[in-house]
Amino acid sequence: MSERIQQALTAFEKSLDRRLLAALEVCARCGICAESCHVFAAEPDFRNAPAAKAEAVRRFYRRLHDPIGRLFPWWVGAKDLTEADLEELAEIAFGACTLCRRCTMNCPMGVDTALIMRATRAMLTAAGKAPEMLTQLADAAIAREENLEFFREFYIDQIRELERELQEQTGDPDARIPVEKAGAEILYVALSGAHTILPAAVLFHAVGADWTLSMFEAANYGYFLADLQRARAIARRIVDEARRLGVKEIILAECGHAYTVLRWEAPNWFEDFPFRVRSIIEAAAEWIQQGRLPLDPSANPEPVTYHDSCNLGRNGGLLEEPRIILRAVVQDFREMSPNRAENFCCGGGAGLVAVPEWYEKRMRAGRRKVEQIRQTGARIVAASCDNCRLQLGDLNDYYGLGIRVSGLIDLVVNAYLAARRMKATAPAAPVRVSVQELI
Amino acid sequence: MEVKPDLTLDLKGLLCPMPVVKINQAIKNVPIGGVIEAYATDPGVMADIPAWCRSTGNELVTIEKQDKVIRFVVRRLK
Amino acid sequence: MSATTLWGWIVLIALGLCIGGLGWRLYGLLARPYRPDRAQPRGSAWRGIVYAFTWGMMPWAKESTRRHFLPYVRGVLFHLGIFATLATLAVSPWRSALPASITMAGLVFTGIGAVGGLIGILMRIFDERLRALSHPDDYAAVVLVTVWQAAGMAFWTDPRWTAAFYALSALTLIAIPLTKIRHCIYFFFSRFFFGLFYGRRAVLG
Ligand code: SF4
Ligand code: SF4
Repeated sequence: MSERIQQALTAFEKSLDRRLLAALEVCARCGICAESCHVFAAEPDFRNAPAAKAEAVRRFYRRLHDPIGRLFPWWVGAKDLTEADLEELAEIAFGACTLCRRCTMNCPMGVDTALIMRATRAMLTAAGKAPEMLTQLADAAIAREENLEFFREFYIDQIRELERELQEQTGDPDARIPVEKAGAEILYVALSGAHTILPAAVLFHAVGADWTLSMFEAANYGYFLADLQRARAIARRIVDEARRLGVKEIILAECGHAYTVLRWEAPNWFEDFPFRVRSIIEAAAEWIQQGRLPLDPSANPEPVTYHDSCNLGRNGGLLEEPRIILRAVVQDFREMSPNRAENFCCGGGAGLVAVPEWYEKRMRAGRRKVEQIRQTGARIVAASCDNCRLQLGDLNDYYGLGIRVSGLIDLVVNAYLAARRMKATAPAAPVRVSVQELI
Repeated sequence: MEVKPDLTLDLKGLLCPMPVVKINQAIKNVPIGGVIEAYATDPGVMADIPAWCRSTGNELVTIEKQDKVIRFVVRRLK
Repeated sequence: MSATTLWGWIVLIALGLCIGGLGWRLYGLLARPYRPDRAQPRGSAWRGIVYAFTWGMMPWAKESTRRHFLPYVRGVLFHLGIFATLATLAVSPWRSALPASITMAGLVFTGIGAVGGLIGILMRIFDERLRALSHPDDYAAVVLVTVWQAAGMAFWTDPRWTAAFYALSALTLIAIPLTKIRHCIYFFFSRFFFGLFYGRRAVLG
């Protein structure tokens, strides 16, 4: 057995807990999960069916762990893991599965194929077979913390510039984007790039939140690699920062996997995790329901549909919040079909958008999503995840959809700024005094 | 002294992580010691590109902001 | 010792092997670490778990089973037949003392199971997709269980089939932990984890 195979199998054994073992054992090979996977729905080659993808893993699992697989491998389709299999598994686990769990929802046994694929990713990463780009992006995130002093100056410079834009947009010369403010209530963790900082800053300003911006970005490519060590190191930067500043809550930018990582996974990784973690869409929905944001939906007059990110929706439970927001900020909201927990993945999740070699692959995998969007007749597709937004933007160009892709928070900001402008220009409302009051 | 780039990339309008993805692709097309010059608009590159250089062992020759456009120069060392 | 008594003993030994084998599989599962989620739940774990075993199993609850409605119902009936055949085995020593209604119910349910199994065998042979997914073990398991159910049916029609039914019962019991039929125990864990996950995240339940 080569050293690489040894490393792969050691990593696989480490992942093999009760949940994974049950998922590997329980499949009855009934095949009814096939169409639930967007990869299969777009390209109905049976190798794209969830059960077929998982069989590639079960083959060597049975060889190792099933007595029949050891004695009579041909009887149960068992096979030793080889170097060539690692190549094939990388194509499957990184390139043909977005870990969306739509198949799990549709399997009578509840087989968690995404969990099997995550374990496969972990094994491939350990054996040095993960896509180079994902590894580099994860390492760059870690380097950002290791060289924080070097970046601080660049970063703060950027933020000061954004602050000027914020002041322009809000018309408030005192509007601030605080960074590293000790004792703030909220630590807002954005993504790399202004588009997730400025709109959020407008909303924080609007509701008078006591907040501070994180020095780090929410994205976690270590999680896509299923490399617990890297994923933890990247998440730790934020957890340590939150502890250092003494915040009560971490609010995350619109990002699907960051929500999975910090909301659901990180509490398993760190002993001390004394903060609430929310997505900014949960906060925005709450502010809207509390009436803290004046909104004018006529600022978003075009038909809008919403793409449920798998991480936020099906796997995160944020199913109603986006609807609360959209009903308040746009004039014509149209549901995709199917939607919420049954929604189809955009085809670019779990790191696929970052791997250039898989561009064609993910364009094909997005075909089902393209049909869904077309059926709504919407001009704007709102998505609450940067990964989805990138993929939807590419699908738009590739298939000539003629849509615009927007974050939810951008639509909220449009409606909020329009309502403010209206208030500023409207004549003072006539004072109505009832007769009773006069008497 | 300003170095003459082997390759110039227009990354304007691309959002994170695309500038890093493109640089990583492009660097394979210049020889070791070769230089890439790129223009981007997303302020995220101000942190991402230096971090990428550090973690991959390439050299960030310069990174500067010219109005709304960020210009950076990377030398391939590996 | 009559042939039936001898077969009765063989079935009991097979049952012991089956329980031992499943116990060993169960031990293999429980010896693995369990990593519970520590994040603050959004919804109720129990509601998710109850959903996973009840409403969530209904043919209309999932897109896949709505699409493959008949194959799914076939699968349900086939499994119902398995329970009926197991019950048949359990009450078989008292066959002559049982009321006619039980005999009839036994006949009907084992019969339905056998028909379901037969369709399952044909599907596995002729459906290209299922063929691509199947190993010899899958064919053997469905054939064995179908023939066993048919023997159960025959047992209800005529007690002369008792020995054959017992022989097939012994074979099936021994096969359970060794073949794909063992998914019966993992089913409970897999659905439990499924319900727990989606219940805690307020997605189902
Ligand atoms: S994963 Fe589930 S639905 Fe798919 S073949 Fe296996 S048991 Fe059937
Ligand atoms: S997790 Fe999603 S992408 Fe992966 S096999 Fe299942 S449905 Fe397909």
